[in-house]
Amino acid sequence: MTGKDLLRALSGGKGVSGYESDLVPLLSQSFAPLADEIKEDSLGNLVMLRRGTGSEPRSKIMLAAHMDEIGLVITGYEPGGFLRFANIGGIDDRVLLAQEVIVHGRKDLVGVIGAKPPHIQEPDEQDKTVKMNDLFIDVGLDDETVKQLVEIGDMATIAQQPVELQNQRHAGKALDDRAGVVVMQLCLEILSKLSHSADVYAVATVQEEVGLRGAVVSTYGIVPDIGIAIDVGHGDIPGVPAYDTLPLGKGPGIAYGPQVHPKLYQRLTELAKEWSVPYNVEPSTSPAGTDAYAIQITQHGIPTALISLPLRYMHTAVETLDWSDLEAAARLLALFICSVDSEFVEGLQCF
Amino acid sequence: MQEMIKSLSELYGPAGREEAVAAYIRDVMSPLADEVYTDTMGSVVAVKRGSANGKKIMLAAHMDEIGVMITDIDEQGFLRFSNIGGISPFTLIGQRAEFADGTIGVFGFEKLDDIKDLKLNKMYIDIGAGSREEAIAKVNIGDSAVIHKECIIQGQRVIGKAMDDRVGCAVLIETARRLNNSPHEVYFVFTTQEEVGLRGARTAAYSIDPDYGIAVDVTLTGDTPEAHRMAVSLGKGAAVKVKDASVIAHPMVKDLLVSTAKAKGIPYQMEVLERGGTDAGSIHLIRSGVPTGAVSVPCRYIHTPGEMVDLGDVTACVDLLAGVLEEPWE
Repeated sequence: MTGKDLLRALSGGKGVSGYESDLVPLLSQSFAPLADEIKEDSLGNLVMLRRGTGSEPRSKIMLAAHMDEIGLVITGYEPGGFLRFANIGGIDDRVLLAQEVIVHGRKDLVGVIGAKPPHIQEPDEQDKTVKMNDLFIDVGLDDETVKQLVEIGDMATIAQQPVELQNQRHAGKALDDRAGVVVMQLCLEILSKLSHSADVYAVATVQEEVGLRGAVVSTYGIVPDIGIAIDVGHGDIPGVPAYDTLPLGKGPGIAYGPQVHPKLYQRLTELAKEWSVPYNVEPSTSPAGTDAYAIQITQHGIPTALISLPLRYMHTAVETLDWSDLEAAARLLALFICSVDSEFVEGLQCF
Repeated sequence: MQEMIKSLSELYGPAGREEAVAAYIRDVMSPLADEVYTDTMGSVVAVKRGSANGKKIMLAAHMDEIGVMITDIDEQGFLRFSNIGGISPFTLIGQRAEFADGTIGVFGFEKLDDIKDLKLNKMYIDIGAGSREEAIAKVNIGDSAVIHKECIIQGQRVIGKAMDDRVGCAVLIETARRLNNSPHEVYFVFTTQEEVGLRGARTAAYSIDPDYGIAVDVTLTGDTPEAHRMAVSLGKGAAVKVKDASVIAHPMVKDLLVSTAKAKGIPYQMEVLERGGTDAGSIHLIRSGVPTGAVSVPCRYIHTPGEMVDLGDVTACVDLLAGVLEEPWE
């Protein structure tokens, strides 16, 4: 499976935080030729190990990209067969109205999110966002049948298959952060043609959107010498200052801030310059918000870096990215991994 | 069971000062378990051993309750305080405070132009002392108090303070009493400091290192006039947690609870709690991860002196836990 095929399949797949297991067969299959060992940990993180050629004990490099997506959870029924719902992760109420969804009940049911039409709204309702609390899902079933097929607590995802725009740009849901998972695959593909001494643990983490939970436990299980999170950063759009965004098509962001080990940042930027990999520095003052934070403070502390893929319209069904940024990120990571030797790892212990 | 819930409810045990509750539970659990010990954080752990091929399963209910801590004592002997856990000042109006040694005070508040301005820092506790000196003979800065409230059993309903989560403690005790056929090594853990950040469960889970976890706590309901919309009602059975702010219940544990309830005809309802957390939030993130779910006792008026639960729901929770612990858990 090519990287683009994987991106399309992952974006269209389902895997709300806590319920990512449907993605596992797809990932296991596409990573199998690149990994020596693939296993799920007890919370469902998929750990794909590619062994290095160094002598034991080899250094361990953990790559982490989260495979969960934000989504909806059914909370109740309304007379007429309608379903009430709440959010899993950071859903923007404004983008829910009139979406098609898939309710993952006893079987998958296509539904639409409806609300009161403009004609019959009160004047003071018309200039306000319809709150999630006032929205409902209509799957077309009557009261009795809907209760047989959908239970409170069932998950729902936005029904959206990805599309390709001009210039190798892709739009779809859940590219945050399945694009990061694709980068790990592209990276391992490059590594399969090169020699690297360290073991590489590519981890598709779970439950990032609800609190970096998968990274907390997977890092504990692996205890890597180096951790690198691959996540998305806000792409350039009108009305947002350039210093708050990353331009699409100009390479990944290399984060710099409290959660990034300075020597990892230094090595990544040096390699990017040396090998002409495009990148932007992403100043990142707040440590929370990506798996990097969870990785860094695990056990005795892990030297950690963060690579950000520029992504527009985050947490909508039309998240948009540029394929060349994924390729650049994968190349940079592969160059980095090949450059790691035991001397470098030892050097990380002293600032 | 009813008397036990009443006794547990009336005990003094704010987060960090759970000793009285721990002593009561150790006494009750000693004859019911193979081993009972108290860990470094004060949590009481009672172990019931299973057969050789069972799993290690941790059940957790928290002993602590919300309360207040004295921060200052003025010249006239009035005590100022801060909160321990999520406490609303409006729930304190007209209530009595109880300290560890049994000293009783009443909650008062300064003259306000608008009652909406009521904050904890506008309130004080009056223990009847005539001076600072007289007050500190009884109460010191750093001492904690809880609401003083009798627990009432009225038909099927129990009304009292600290149902959150003494009713969960009672469910664990009753489950231990009932459990004779489990292949599993079951750790009944009565945790500390849940109300201030799921702390006791965190360290207990780390040291026990279980294969699976189930937290037992109270949950909100949506069955009162003009309530927040929520599909949980008092009297409709044990609530099986789907998610709250601290945890997404592991699908395997959640599904096992549901299938057990269905197979045994135990009344249950699904719980999607949009705010608040429970010990499951700590347990599932310990070490390299512990698949964890939760069973909740539906409770009205949580974090008030009038927390109300239904005895039928309590029984359903015990039935469900005792049932699920006899399952193979694979």
